[in-house]
Amino acid sequence: MLNLSEKAYVMALRSLKQRDYGTAVTYFDQAAERFAHDKEFALLHETTRVLVATKNELAALRAKYDSESIIEEVFDGQETDFSG
Amino acid sequence: MSRQETLEELESVLEGFLERVVSGKEKRLEVLDGINRLDDIARRIGDGNELTDQIGGWFAEHNQWLNDKSLRPADTGRISRILDQIDARLRTNPERSPAMAKIEAEIKRWQHHTGGERKIVLTRGPEIAVKAEAERPGSLARFSDLMERITRRFDDLAGSSQHILSALDDALKSAEMQQNKEALILSALIIYSLKQENYKVDPYVRRLKEAERRIKGRRAGA
Repeated sequence: MLNLSEKAYVMALRSLKQRDYGTAVTYFDQAAERFAHDKEFALLHETTRVLVATKNELAALRAKYDSESIIEEVFDGQETDFSG
Repeated sequence: MSRQETLEELESVLEGFLERVVSGKEKRLEVLDGINRLDDIARRIGDGNELTDQIGGWFAEHNQWLNDKSLRPADTGRISRILDQIDARLRTNPERSPAMAKIEAEIKRWQHHTGGERKIVLTRGPEIAVKAEAERPGSLARFSDLMERITRRFDDLAGSSQHILSALDDALKSAEMQQNKEALILSALIIYSLKQENYKVDPYVRRLKEAERRIKGRRAGA
């Protein structure tokens, strides 16, 4: 049978191909102990991890921007009528 | 440039890099994915599922591997070992259907092409085989497991190396940096084998001793 770390590495590459970067990081983490000495593995692992962190940061920024836009739309400087 | 624009540019660069890497590995990924699938099939055989269709489908899908040069020696070694396991499991089944006989014939054909043909003598049913395994002395079982792990490690190293000395160098690095005992034993095996072929092995022996000293030191400190 194949080693589970080898299987995880293959699954990580497949996830990269499908642009499923979050899943790829999970599989890379599973394979990390076995392939720690492999430079290519380390490069792909770290790049994917940075990409996922970047995407998370962007998502947070966009969410913040969206909520601020909604607040600006609601409170656009005019008096808001809350009466029923 | 705003923080968001900077992050978007970084995202684009990283995605582009990963896409190019994966694109360059398309063929290799196809092979690894195929071996992975065969391994999945082998793992499920014991579940009692009807898997002859799946194995037959795998052979049909990957038949071209026997003719083109997609497979590396390490790949053929992996496939050969998985097919051995599937074959052994099939032979323990007393009910041999025509589909199973066909799969066995196909396995033989693959083993012949990949140079992994081995004679497997397994006449007992699974219960007896399991009992025999349980009665095996612990030291033999442990050594057998160790050899299997070392073989897999060598397959990994050989797959990414052009020469046995590169594989040895990587094995020694793993032994030195990670204090990995399997890598240490694999290094010793390769060095001894090279010595038999009159290679100059003194520098490697020095590295081996240094790695061994570190591993012993770590154990003593643990």
